[in-house]
Amino acid sequence: MTHTSSFDQKYREGSSNGHHRSRRDGRRAGPQSRPFIQRHPSVMIFIACLALFTLTVSVLSEGFGVGLISTSFVKTLGKTLCLCLVALAMDVVWGYCGILSLGHMAFFGIGGYAIGMWLMYARTELIVIQSLAAAPLPPTAQEISQGIATQIFGVVGASEFPPIWAFAHSLPLQLAAVVLVPGLIALAFGWLAFRARVTGVYLSILTQAMTLALALYLFQNDSGLRGNNGLSGLQNLPGQGATPQSTISLWFLWASALALGLGYVFCAWMVSGKFGSVIRAIRDDEARVRFLGYSVEAYKLTVFTVTAIIAAIAGALYYPQAGIINPAEIAPIASIYLAVWVAIGGRGRLYGAVIGAAFVSLLSTWFTGGQAPDTNLGVYTIQWVNWWTVLLGLSFVVVTLLAPKGIGGLFDLIGKGRKP
Amino acid sequence: MSRLLIIFWCLICAVPVAAQDADAPIQQVMQAHAVELAKASRRTIQPAIDALIDSGLPAAQMVLERWQAKEMWQDEATGLFVFAEEIDRDTIRIFDVSGPDIGEVPDEGYKQLKPNSGVRGLIAAALVKFQLTSDSPAIRRVALDAIARDPKESHLPALRDAIAVEPSPNLAAQMERLERLLTIPFGATEEDQIDAIAYFEGDLGVDVRAALNPLVSTTIKVAKAPPEDPAVIRVLKPGTDALPKPDAYALLVADDLAPPLIPDTAVRETLIANIEDGKVAGVQVATLSTVQARNAAFATLVAEGRANPAATEQEIDDRLDAYQFFELYTGAPAVALAAQSVLSGIETKVALNQTADLALDAISLASIYFLAAIGLAITFGVMGVINMAHGEFIMLGAYTGYVVQLFIPDHTLSILLAIPLAFMVTFAAGVAMERLVIRWLYHRPLETLLATFGVSIALQQLAKNIFGTQARPLTAPGWLDGSMVINDIVAISYIRIAILILALIFLAVFLIVMNRTRLGLEVRAVTQNPRMAASMGINPDRINMLTFGFGSGIAGIAGVAIGLYAKVTSEMGADYIVQSFMTVVVGGVGNIWGTLLGAAMVGTLQKGIEWLNPSNTLAAQTYMILFIILFIQFRPRGIIALKGRAAEA
Repeated sequence: MTHTSSFDQKYREGSSNGHHRSRRDGRRAGPQSRPFIQRHPSVMIFIACLALFTLTVSVLSEGFGVGLISTSFVKTLGKTLCLCLVALAMDVVWGYCGILSLGHMAFFGIGGYAIGMWLMYARTELIVIQSLAAAPLPPTAQEISQGIATQIFGVVGASEFPPIWAFAHSLPLQLAAVVLVPGLIALAFGWLAFRARVTGVYLSILTQAMTLALALYLFQNDSGLRGNNGLSGLQNLPGQGATPQSTISLWFLWASALALGLGYVFCAWMVSGKFGSVIRAIRDDEARVRFLGYSVEAYKLTVFTVTAIIAAIAGALYYPQAGIINPAEIAPIASIYLAVWVAIGGRGRLYGAVIGAAFVSLLSTWFTGGQAPDTNLGVYTIQWVNWWTVLLGLSFVVVTLLAPKGIGGLFDLIGKGRKP
Repeated sequence: MSRLLIIFWCLICAVPVAAQDADAPIQQVMQAHAVELAKASRRTIQPAIDALIDSGLPAAQMVLERWQAKEMWQDEATGLFVFAEEIDRDTIRIFDVSGPDIGEVPDEGYKQLKPNSGVRGLIAAALVKFQLTSDSPAIRRVALDAIARDPKESHLPALRDAIAVEPSPNLAAQMERLERLLTIPFGATEEDQIDAIAYFEGDLGVDVRAALNPLVSTTIKVAKAPPEDPAVIRVLKPGTDALPKPDAYALLVADDLAPPLIPDTAVRETLIANIEDGKVAGVQVATLSTVQARNAAFATLVAEGRANPAATEQEIDDRLDAYQFFELYTGAPAVALAAQSVLSGIETKVALNQTADLALDAISLASIYFLAAIGLAITFGVMGVINMAHGEFIMLGAYTGYVVQLFIPDHTLSILLAIPLAFMVTFAAGVAMERLVIRWLYHRPLETLLATFGVSIALQQLAKNIFGTQARPLTAPGWLDGSMVINDIVAISYIRIAILILALIFLAVFLIVMNRTRLGLEVRAVTQNPRMAASMGINPDRINMLTFGFGSGIAGIAGVAIGLYAKVTSEMGADYIVQSFMTVVVGGVGNIWGTLLGAAMVGTLQKGIEWLNPSNTLAAQTYMILFIILFIQFRPRGIIALKGRAAEA
């Protein structure tokens, strides 16, 4: 069967594959009458694990005085939670709805930029007001704004606020932008793409092109977002100059954990019930769902937009912990890595995405951080800082070929062992 | 022997005699102007130089050159001029101005002539006359180039004299053009200038535009009423784009027709200067945090007579209305008008040629995209396999070229060898990938995409580990250096022409292989219906493997070509992958002509957008991608959409 083209495959094997998958999912969904949580015991287990993890990290952190876990590692863990959240979004859109989006890291980045604009503005405002306080006349609003603009845009040779910074002074408005900007971009892009019935790999390439266009746009100095300098100093919360980073890192850890918990419950709710059944059916056989009378485009658009917003929220929590955001973070390769995490974790199951993102990103941090000991092969010493990416790429190929269920597939084995 | 000795001794004895040869004609001429020569100044030296040239003596040129090079000395006792070379601090070797060596003498008693730069400039101008009429064409050409680089009014007569005697028609034409060019600024009369300007009707040379532009420069003047002067072009109204109000007012101030405005900073400074006990004019300093509050405080200061009042908008407008502003040519109006008309003709022609140049650029970029995409047109277009590692195959080809050049220093030979080698390397890589990865995933395109991403990431990092992150050179053979220059505006580098030709060759190869060979027939059969093909005795496994290898191999050759004009880095493939897929998708999957059209569209579009916004190639790429996303809305199957059963595959 290896020589079949995608042409006749679609008619012979596609449907049987679909049957297989829906049978599996049907077993997991259970009867509709019981409460949501009871129907999904995995949600409770996940929330419990997450709570335990957060509590343990908090108690052991420097912020609480035990100090077994350094502040930078608390930040790494907090960032990992955000990556798990965006992986969750990726899993819903890809694993459940079958849209391999290579653009969700772009939404993640937009969320980061939106919150970063406020963080940078508010902090620079404090600095400027402080420096102008010594002047003989109290500064006018115009002078302050001028001072902030010169501070922020000096690196790109501008001294005025570009129009997109119009709301940067207001936290509520920028928080709204975190949700609205990626949401609207996803809505517009998704509407155009789904309406034209762009599917499968074409859609993937199109989303990748969108990501590339956004990254290239942000790389320009006159994009209004400081070109390739990006936004920096985001780890300093305005007005919290006296609060140590060890405490701030804990706040963000809690916020990220909360967001991940809520995101998990929301995604679990979304992929259960009728909506979940329809999007899984779209993944398995789009044409059949359309012929059954469902508006496939509306479902896909909803999933695409909602997951884009989740990704943006994850980004808005991630970048204050990372401290800096620049256009390289949005480059297409980031979205590909996101797909890698979900694939290795096991797509089509939410905990798989979380495990994949946490496992691979922490392992990446460990390897690329230079903590992995070099392996001496006698003739050649493998420096894992350099060879990790090769290993990751190849293991990705192996997982795709041999273990399409990913790490999450291991849980099936455990389940089988318990209930023969 | 003894006779020879005698002659030798005679020569030795004769030398000092020659040194004192005060009767040599050239020495005579110089002695006539000895005072000017010894104390040369720019204002007085011209007659002496003229005398030297007018003497018609062959030695005059040598005298001028040596003098210019500060190698002429004067015997303080006799006043005679000699050439001299410094041997050491105290000794010089002197020569008579008519040539013979006199010998080494202490430099006491001799005084070096040191013409200043102004004088040296005049000497150089005089020397040009000799160089322009030199026997050697090379020297004449150098002299012409020197004049063109730094044209001076003094060159003009020499140039005119030289044209009459120039034997080479080619050089004569150049001289004539240069003479006309010099006449534009330096012509004796306006008629001469206008004649010279007319000579350059439609000439695209940058030097022509550089000569004409100063003639049409304008300036804005202000008066109660514009004078009846032919130089006046138009009357300007303040507040328009051509003359914003602040500029107009500044003109009034410059002509002492209005008092200067008080800038905003002055308001601030006046306020600061008048702070008393934390108050300004009775207002608390702390409340002065708005522009209105500051203006109010300033108005109070003015009312108290402690500051000069600032002009109101109304006053400014009244003052501006009282005068008329007009633009006029700085130079002679007749010349300016002539220059203007020739310039506008030239500009039209320049615009046309720039369009042609842009079209060439677009074609060249299109050929690069086509080259990058043609391998994909096979693997993706014909086989329907998404290969995200295609860009890395391009990179692999380029690195193969680089490695070949490490071993073979001859660039022509190494490139000729690199092309088949790159094909073989990437063919092997493609076949290996097809066997190991892709054939298990033929019915799962999304997973093919992911798996090939994995390969792409791994290959990219592997290249980084082996070759490092810095760019490696892939040097083109010498005969591909430089560019084909059609005129001053339209030019295209030979490498780009080579890439265009290579792209056309690939197109031909693709068409021949697919339509005229057994392999092509089998590929098409397997693509359309693999089971039917298999039952006809074709081995689909083998065909898929070969097709994929063929597509990958072409990517390798494309890599060599792209590496020639761009640097070889591990990320070069990633730079092209999205554009390549765009090219194939926009053109229409499964049709090579579609890919060609797609490449043409993407290339033209990108160059066109770059032209609209020349400072920014990043923006051009951004808008191009956005355009393509929109384009796919209207033609989801590309420019050339396959119809019927083939479209379903």
